[in-house]
Amino acid sequence: MSPDPQLTDALAAIVGRDACLWRPEELFVYECDGLTLHSATPAAVVLPRDAEEVSRVVKACRARGVPFVPRGAGTGLSGGAVALEGGVVIECSRMDAVLELCPEERWARVQPGVVNAHLSDVARPQQLYYAPDPSSQLACTIGGNVAENSGGPHTLKHGTTTNHVLALQLVLPDGDVMRLGSAAGWAPGYDLVGAVVGSEGTLGVVTEATVRLTPLPEAVETLLGIFPDVVTACRAVGAMIRGGLVPAALEIVDRRTIEAVEASVYAAGLPTDAGAVLIVELDGAREAVDQDVHRVKKLCAEDGAARVELARDEAERQRFWRARKGAFGAMGRLAPDLYVHDAVVPRTKLPEVIAEVCAIGDRHGLKLSNVFHAGDGNLHPNISFDRRDEDELARVVKAGEEILRTCVAAGGVITGEHGIGTEKQDYMGLLFDEADLDAMRRLRAAFDPDGVCNPGKIFPTTRFCRESDPKARGYERVPL
Amino acid sequence: MSLEALRGALGADAVQEHPEASLDGVPVPASVRPSDADALAEALRVLSQSDAAAIVRGAGSGLAFGNPPRRADVWLSTEHLSDVDVLDADEGVAHAQAGAPLAELRLRAASVGWDLPIEAPDEAATLGGALARAALGPRVHRFGPPRDHVLGLGVALASGERTRCGGRVVKNVTGYDLAKLHVGGCGTLGVIESAWLRLRPLPETSLLLSAWIDGADAGFRHAARIAELPAVRALALVDPHLAGRVDASGPESGQWLAVVELAGAEPEVKRAREGLGLAGAVEHGPELMARLRGVQCGPPPESGLRFRLVVQPARIVAAAVPLARAGAALLGYPGAGFLFAGFPLHAAADSNLVDSAWRAVREAARAGGGSALLESAPGWAKSAGDVFGEPCEATPLFRALKQQFDPRGTLNPGRFAGGL
Repeated sequence: MSPDPQLTDALAAIVGRDACLWRPEELFVYECDGLTLHSATPAAVVLPRDAEEVSRVVKACRARGVPFVPRGAGTGLSGGAVALEGGVVIECSRMDAVLELCPEERWARVQPGVVNAHLSDVARPQQLYYAPDPSSQLACTIGGNVAENSGGPHTLKHGTTTNHVLALQLVLPDGDVMRLGSAAGWAPGYDLVGAVVGSEGTLGVVTEATVRLTPLPEAVETLLGIFPDVVTACRAVGAMIRGGLVPAALEIVDRRTIEAVEASVYAAGLPTDAGAVLIVELDGAREAVDQDVHRVKKLCAEDGAARVELARDEAERQRFWRARKGAFGAMGRLAPDLYVHDAVVPRTKLPEVIAEVCAIGDRHGLKLSNVFHAGDGNLHPNISFDRRDEDELARVVKAGEEILRTCVAAGGVITGEHGIGTEKQDYMGLLFDEADLDAMRRLRAAFDPDGVCNPGKIFPTTRFCRESDPKARGYERVPL
Repeated sequence: MSLEALRGALGADAVQEHPEASLDGVPVPASVRPSDADALAEALRVLSQSDAAAIVRGAGSGLAFGNPPRRADVWLSTEHLSDVDVLDADEGVAHAQAGAPLAELRLRAASVGWDLPIEAPDEAATLGGALARAALGPRVHRFGPPRDHVLGLGVALASGERTRCGGRVVKNVTGYDLAKLHVGGCGTLGVIESAWLRLRPLPETSLLLSAWIDGADAGFRHAARIAELPAVRALALVDPHLAGRVDASGPESGQWLAVVELAGAEPEVKRAREGLGLAGAVEHGPELMARLRGVQCGPPPESGLRFRLVVQPARIVAAAVPLARAGAALLGYPGAGFLFAGFPLHAAADSNLVDSAWRAVREAARAGGGSALLESAPGWAKSAGDVFGEPCEATPLFRALKQQFDPRGTLNPGRFAGGL
């Protein structure tokens, strides 16, 4: 599709020629985010430098009836940053300044393009860090984290993004710039910061975020429990939750993932004959951490761990985490494509649900592995596949649906941290009836009555009604 | 409005008339007490179709909070929706109806080893009431605001539709987080009928202490150091006007009372106790916490003004000192940046005093980098301006939300920020 020269001229006049992309080879990279199965080509991409430019871009789009989509680093896994309907992508990577750091009050005011891990790097000399740590934290940005209410391994104790955002500057869908919330953590009126966090870029474009910084803990200890199988490891997690332990992280890596990691550059020296490993990280006051280390060891032993190792130093701690954080990269060894699923169940249901998830993978003859935030009940079944194999692709989609239905039947939900985007909009009906969805539409309408800001996301559409048919879901448009 | 439609829909017993009742001088001539969530939704449907206005209430302990209603036909009470139907000790979550009293919920959670992280100054408050006004208490220091503990809500909309948002799991980004709008929304976008809550483990041990400190400056400086200790669950500073109501053992002239609750693992609490640096600290039983909450409740609305300020914690002393100078009685939760400022009122309607109190409070909030609202006041004193403070730039969005969720103005009309 050739670009509308009037639109691109207007956008280039705002952000400059070098920050406005419209040639096919420039747009290619913006066709999808981390969910490579869903793609669409935007009309143009702009890289504004500040809220004023974003506001002018939005107004220029509005004047021409063109929808727009905010985008961070494009690491999202639900298609949220894809511009459907030929819209304009507002890519925030050039807005990457830490505008203000207030160590006394423990907050930072940042532009949306600041990389998550960079913020902690900046704060660490003040003995502070930014707690939400999605697995993509070396690349993903604060703006994207706000849009998706991102989590990560340490949300069990420290919460997700929504617990750490104090205030926002937002360019509304009509182009007005508005400040919401307060660095004090509360502002009069409805909690619009709470409503915008996790709204997947559908209520406006975040151009600034004031986020809470957390003191570095006095003590951190990391343990690695070796289990005969993933179900037993899940039982140990249940015992810890039941026992009132709140570790900073409780992560499970299953055998297939361990094998992939150990065969890759991320090799961490894990026993490849283990059925699963459980990473337990404890942080806080020294005495409390020491006491909890003993409790964790005891509970793991009682619940079937073959052995439990305590990281002796920071290098060993990093080694344990390498097994977890390198998992997605290591999956590249198994197949050309990886579908990272995301669903949540009550922790008490983990053993039976994980067994069923594995059985679903087996029934469909798929390479399914699990690496997940067990402490939150947040599953990430990963299916390795080759999209060129149409039959396998169909089985991947079918298995994904069965996994979601299994999780919902167990009292769970269809996404814990990746969002709905285009990936799961047709499964919203598994959880919400029309009145529930209509209430969400009311919120959308208050911010964006014309539906121009990241349209086609979250809410069910008729477009993908035959969700088990890959072609009906638009997969044939995916470049091979 | 005619009450017959309500009686027809809910049964005669669910509707009572009381011509003498009022709120902030506005008559509220009847009460509706739905027996269950379906009846609550049905009541809303009837009220909305009749263009009637409902003042939503739980135990009634927070009714002083809010602007005077623009109109009011009935109290709509959630008191019969009081089931605590899930206390999942294995999972650490609970599900309760809006009318469940917080005190009962706390006891029941404790009986299975879990702590309820939601508080209200008046523990007779219901869960729904506490969430609707985003109530807090001394343990806000550790637990933060109530929004952080709500996993999901059942909400009846003004139209009579029953809706759900969120869920029962501890991590969830499925759809918009509508619960954030209803928590603190004062029942103006919908009526909370039930909530899923995340509980916290009961601490292995806890210790409640108080000590006297000379002056506001020294008190807030010392509190800032104490606030750093991870074992602190509650931290309060009470000024000399109010301190005697919390601890009758003092005070000497000009002394402030520091109240510290430590909770956690035994060795951690022991070390924190040694590190407090509070000379002459005295241990207390739970009744001290009850008295502290009582001070936060303040006197009855007719006898004084009570403001709530939220400021940036490191700047709290810059807000507190001028307020103390202006004659306010102060209670602070310094680690979380909360200040409660009381101004006694004389019998006569003294609007000059209200104006000067607002001026002092606004100035203090600015100095602390935060904002303020008038939590409790007699109806006449609310005419000085919006009890939620000066209009903020998001007011047009508030209005758009109200229009979307309650276009007929059925729910608490006029009571919210901006007179919504």
